[in-house]
Order: sequence, then structure tokens, then C-alpha cells
Amino acid sequence: MTIVNASGDVVEQGWTTVESLEGYGPHHGIIVSPAVLLDSFDEADHVSLSHTGVRLSVEDDVSEIAAYVPHLGLIELVFAQFKDGRPYSTALTLRRDYKFTHELRASGDVLPDQAIFLIRSGFSSVDVPDQFTAQEFKKSLMAYSVAYQSAHDSHVSLIDDLRRSTPDVAAE
Amino acid sequence: MYVYDSLDKTLLNQRVAEFRDQVQRRLDGDLTEDQFKPLRLMNGLYLQLHAYMLRVAIPYGTLSSDQMRKLAYVAKTYDRGYGHFTTRQNIQFNWIELSTAPDLLYDLSEVDLHAIQTSGNCIRNVTADPYAGAAADELDDPRIWSEVIRQWSTLHPEFSFLPRKFKIAVTGSEADRAAIKFHDIGLKIVRNNEGVLGFAVYVGGGQGRTPIVAPLIKAFLPAPDLLRYLDAVLRVYNRHGRRDNIYKARIKILVDSMGADSFAAEVASEFNRLDPKLLSVRDDDVSRLRDMFAQPYLRPDPDSSSSFEDLVKKSPRLGPWFKSNAHPHKTPGYSIVTISLKPIGGIPGDATAEQMFGIADLADRFSLGEIRVTYTQNLILPHVRQADLFVLWQELERLNLATPNVGLASDIIACPGLDYCSLANARSIPISQRISERFANLNAQHDVGPLDIRISGCINACGHHHAGHIGILGVDKKGEERYQLTLGGQGNGESAVGKIVGPGFDEDGIVDAVETVVSTYLSLRTEGEVFSQTLARTGQDPFKERLYDNR
Ligand code: HEM
Ligand code: SF4
Repeated sequence: MTIVNASGDVVEQGWTTVESLEGYGPHHGIIVSPAVLLDSFDEADHVSLSHTGVRLSVEDDVSEIAAYVPHLGLIELVFAQFKDGRPYSTALTLRRDYKFTHELRASGDVLPDQAIFLIRSGFSSVDVPDQFTAQEFKKSLMAYSVAYQSAHDSHVSLIDDLRRSTPDVAAE
Repeated sequence: MYVYDSLDKTLLNQRVAEFRDQVQRRLDGDLTEDQFKPLRLMNGLYLQLHAYMLRVAIPYGTLSSDQMRKLAYVAKTYDRGYGHFTTRQNIQFNWIELSTAPDLLYDLSEVDLHAIQTSGNCIRNVTADPYAGAAADELDDPRIWSEVIRQWSTLHPEFSFLPRKFKIAVTGSEADRAAIKFHDIGLKIVRNNEGVLGFAVYVGGGQGRTPIVAPLIKAFLPAPDLLRYLDAVLRVYNRHGRRDNIYKARIKILVDSMGADSFAAEVASEFNRLDPKLLSVRDDDVSRLRDMFAQPYLRPDPDSSSSFEDLVKKSPRLGPWFKSNAHPHKTPGYSIVTISLKPIGGIPGDATAEQMFGIADLADRFSLGEIRVTYTQNLILPHVRQADLFVLWQELERLNLATPNVGLASDIIACPGLDYCSLANARSIPISQRISERFANLNAQHDVGPLDIRISGCINACGHHHAGHIGILGVDKKGEERYQLTLGGQGNGESAVGKIVGPGFDEDGIVDAVETVVSTYLSLRTEGEVFSQTLARTGQDPFKERLYDNR
């Protein structure tokens, strides 16, 4: 499995996806389902949560794990189909409403040509599907140096016709 | 007009380069057709019955003469010498080679034209009132706000993979010439009681197999909140729109099933969560755009009208053309002129390269270099001095573009139908040609008065048949092409969905049926009544009797 970061570079994978907690201690860096999270973790145990990730399908409702979200070490949003764009809005909600600041990973059916949309929507890493390469993701990320919307990335400059006179935005 | 700066140009060039790379990977065999399909569809390239079809955006229906020349050049160089203007204020080229498509797009980018978001489940090309900037009844220029939306929606990271395509239309006038209530979002520029500029927001209109006139979701949205509100609407749709059934995926189904009120409440709650600083469009922000769209000064020339009237007497053919194809401009002595792309027996919306070159030159001579595209598949020269109308008319005659039929029986909207489209049940273009020929007598058409005939080759309703006074829908009945007739739709000003009259017709039958409907109207109408008024007064029954009695 290959993980690329928001710059398209391959990064060391520190997380293991598990179906149950059997054989894992609290500080292992594991990614679990929302059901396991709710069953086995204490929402007040922020230390354990910081070593825990959760993977959400497009059908999962973030509000059900709301109390855990700000303390989780990682959230993975699984794309059921590249055409199903719900995770883009979920990413925005996690960053904005839940103030989630840690790794937000895209996995499942994602295309290299979507890389820039993912990063700009707030994802910070991508689990590269087997049929693609990290280079393809990086190349696609670098395809644009400008954009019209302010978003969650840094290497793209804003075409800020509309916001040229709104200095407050720079502070964001 | 909006002028691209270096950043706009950079983005467009990068899009062209990205697409060139995608096409190359396909030609080299690195991408399968399945993998390539979503990529080409994000750039307006469809695989049709006979060839690739490329759909080029004409943002809010505004073209400069140089852009028109480039489209003419493209038609000549990459297609078979013509282009097809559509009801979406786009132009389509039907005979494109995949290997040359990147060069074509590069050529277009030289005049700031592109195919970005002309297909796919994203926010499509924004459409607007074609009379923008020239209409007397305009509160504010819809192109300013359409450009704001164009920028916000272009390659939007969050909203490029929606449940289904998404279409936004803007009008600044009381008379709705953009059919805003048949769009996913329709925006009407209004002022509130304090004189503050804003929008009435209609959400969830559409055609296709479930035609719906959009309900009003917000009566007054202050202009600075426009993008924040659109952002909220799109997020609610992206989250909750149906993805299990392509026929139920449009926002109209979501609004309908939630109910307009609870949909509006959900949008309001999302709106309140959004940081106003990030998306607010302040008046000083748009001043640059406002300057770009400001109409160059036209010297009022009221005398020009009276001298023109003398000319009308000289040519009996000029009078009808002036009556149907010219509309009053906000500046005295000027006209908004519609160029009919509906010659008798022709293909609605088609223009040859020579015609496009000619129109570009006429726009430079007579209309400040500006051209508009209407959703009824015609073109417009928005700022013509009446003193120039006679010469303009002569030039248009020479180009076979002066058919005096705008708004009349032969000004038919038709989709490509079975001649091009892989989804079609039946042919549309030949039906429209035959109806047009049936009404070839233009004086008779003027006598019949305003009549809106619209044809779609299948229930996707690309030809807006639901919204025509007379709507024709191609259906497949045991492998046979049949046509269903609807009456009472409205797409211009008012919005209403037509009702099916009765059993369908074959190809000959439908042409006769349209004639029967028109002659029935002529026998029923009272002094000064137009078709839609007569129908509203009498209902469908007298029409049904005449259509089906002698069967
Ligand atoms: C030939 C290729 C074309 C194909 C394959 C095609 C396909 C479709 C489909 C599948 C829909 C239904 C979408 C839905 O309701 O979810 C649709 C709607 C529509 N199309 Fe096309 N179309 C084509 C050409 C055109 C052309 C040439 C025009 C303009 C003349 C056009 C204008 C429209 C409009 C106005 C709608 C209705 C949109 C609505 O429901 O709000 N299409 N098209
Ligand atoms: S209405 Fe049907 S036949 Fe006509 S263009 Fe649309 S999809 Fe094709």
C-alpha cells in the first residue's frame, strides 16, 4: 500500500487497518471501523484516541462519532466510487465544523486526476489504488498552479478577482 | 465583456495541457476507454453515434466577434464546416477526431474559450438573459453575477462530483428570457424595499422525465451573500442528493421529497455555519467586473427610428423582419436584433463557418463587436443603431440569416435526436424541418402570431418540449418512432409544464397534428388573442376533438 501526502510525495505508512482490537495495544496506530471505535474506546481517553484512526464509508454519519472526532489521530474516508463526491463535503465538514486537524486520508476508488480536488477539499493524504502510481498522483497535483477558490492547500495561488479587496481572508 | 487576466489564462492553459496529456495517454493505450471516459466527459467530449462531439461553453451566452471568428475557424478546420448552437447557450461540433481535439482546445483558449464543465456531474456553464446590458427592463447586468458564479464554480474542488449535473441561470429583468425556473438554481436580480440589490432564489427546477417549475427558496438574498448561499445549497445537495438512481439524482427530486420549506431550512443552517468572510461578494469586489461589463456609451438617436420607418415602407420584406426580429433597446434609437438560425426547412441552431465569419464582421460593424447566444438557438446583435438596420438586414439576407420568424411557428427548438444522439428514440431535426416547411408562408406565420414549438427525441428533454406551447416528444413504440404531443407549456416569461393531449402520432401524423392545432386556434381565437391565451381560455378539449375525432 502506497500513501502520498498533500505534496504528492510517498510517506511512511504508520497505520494498520484492523477489523478488531485483538492483539493490539492502545498505542499501535490502528484504523478501526466506527462500530469498533464506539464499542471499545472512551471518548475522554484522548491519549489512546490520538493513536487511533477511524475509516468511514460514504454511508457513515460523522455526527455519530462527533465526540471522538477532534481527538482522533487519523480519519480515512473511503470512496465507494470515484463519481460519488460525498467525501469531499465530509472532508470540509470535518475540517470546518469539527475542527479536525490531523491526517485526513482518502482511500478507495480515487483517480489520480482527482488529486488536486482531494487536497484542496482538506484531505492531507491519499491511499494510492493498486492500478495507479504515486507519480501519477504527484503529476496531477502539479498540473495547476492557480485556482479560483480559497481552499485547504498552499501551493496554488488564488485568482482572487472577487477577494482582492478583502484583506481579512489572508489571515485564514 | 470580461477580459481574462494572466491568472485566468494560466488556469486555462493548464487545463488544455492536462487534457492533451489525458488524450495522449488514451491514444498510447495507457488508458482504457472506460478510464478515459470520465476524463473526457469533464471536458465536454462525448462519443456519439458517428463520431466524437465536443461541446464548447459560451459563458452566459456572450461572445465577442473574435471569439465567433475562432468558432468559425474551428468549424472549418476540425469539423465539416458548421457548428450547432444549443439550448444551453453552448456550441457543439459533431464531427471531431480525438487526436486533434487537444489542438482544437488550444486554438479556442487563445480567445478565452474552453469546454470546461460542459458535461459531467458538475456545475455547468452558467446561462443568462441574452439581452443582458441592453434590455430596458433590467435592474442589474446578470453577466456580472454570472461571471462571479463562473469563477467560483470553475474546477470547484468540492462540487465536481455531484449526484448529477447542475445548471444555474441568472436574469436581471422582470421578463424572464433565461427560463430560470427550469434550472437547478434560478436567480432573479431584485431590490428589496430598502432598495438593496439581491436575488430571488429558485431551486429545483428542471425538465427531463420529471419536469418541475422551481419553487422559490429565498425571496431576498442580499447580493454579497450570493456565493455563500450557493455554497450551502450545493453542499446540502452533495450530501443528500440521491445517488442510487440516475433518474432521481437531480436536485429537483431532493427539493421535492424534502419539501421546499425544509430544504430551505437545511440550506439556512448550512449557510449560517459558513464563514461570511470567506465567500462574501462585496460591492467593491465586483466593481472591477462591473466596469468590464459596462456598456460603451451609445449616443441616443431617437431620429433614427423615424427615418427607419420610411425605409420599412420601401421594402415589404423589411417590415415583418423588424417586427419579429428586432426588440427595443434601452437607448432610444437602437435595437436588439435577433439573427434567426431557423431558415425554413433548415436545421435549428446550425450555422456554417461562412455564416459565423459573416456574423462576426457584422457585429464589428454594427454592434460594438458583441454577439449573444439564446437558449432558443438563435443569435443576437445587442446594440444596433436603427439607422443601420436596413444595411444590416441586407447583409443578413445575403448570408441567409434574415428569416423573419423569431418567436413564430418556424422558430422551432429541436434537440439533435436520432440523427446524432445515442440516447434518442426518434428523429427531431427532420420533424422540425417538415413543420417549418408546412408553415413556410411567413406572412401566415405572422398572422398566427407568437408560437413556441419544441421537439425532443427522448424524455431527457434536451429540446425543452415540456416548456413549449406545442411540445413534441419522440417515443419508441415497439421499435417504431412515434411522437407524443403536449400543449400548454411555457418557457418564456412564465414557466409551465405542458400536458399530453392524447395518443401519439407517426411522423406524418405529427406534422398534420401541429397544423390541426394551429388551425383550431385560428378558428377559436378572439381579437388580439395569441395562441397561449386561447388555449388557456378554452382548455385542451376543442383541440382534442379536432385532433382525434375523425380517426
Ligand atoms: C447529443 C448529445 C446529448 C446527450 C447524450 C444529452 C443527454 C442528456 C441527458 C441524459 C439529459 C437528462 C439529464 C437529467 O435529467 O438528469 C439531458 C438533459 C438536457 N439536455 Fe441534453 N444531451 C445531448 C445534447 C443536448 C443538446 C444539443 C442540447 C441543447 C440543444 C441539450 C440540452 C439539454 C437540456 C436543456 C436538458 C434538460 C436539463 C434539465 O433537465 O434541467 N442536450 N441531456
Ligand atoms: S432529448 Fe434525448 S434524443 Fe434529444 S439530444 Fe437529449 S438525449 Fe438525445
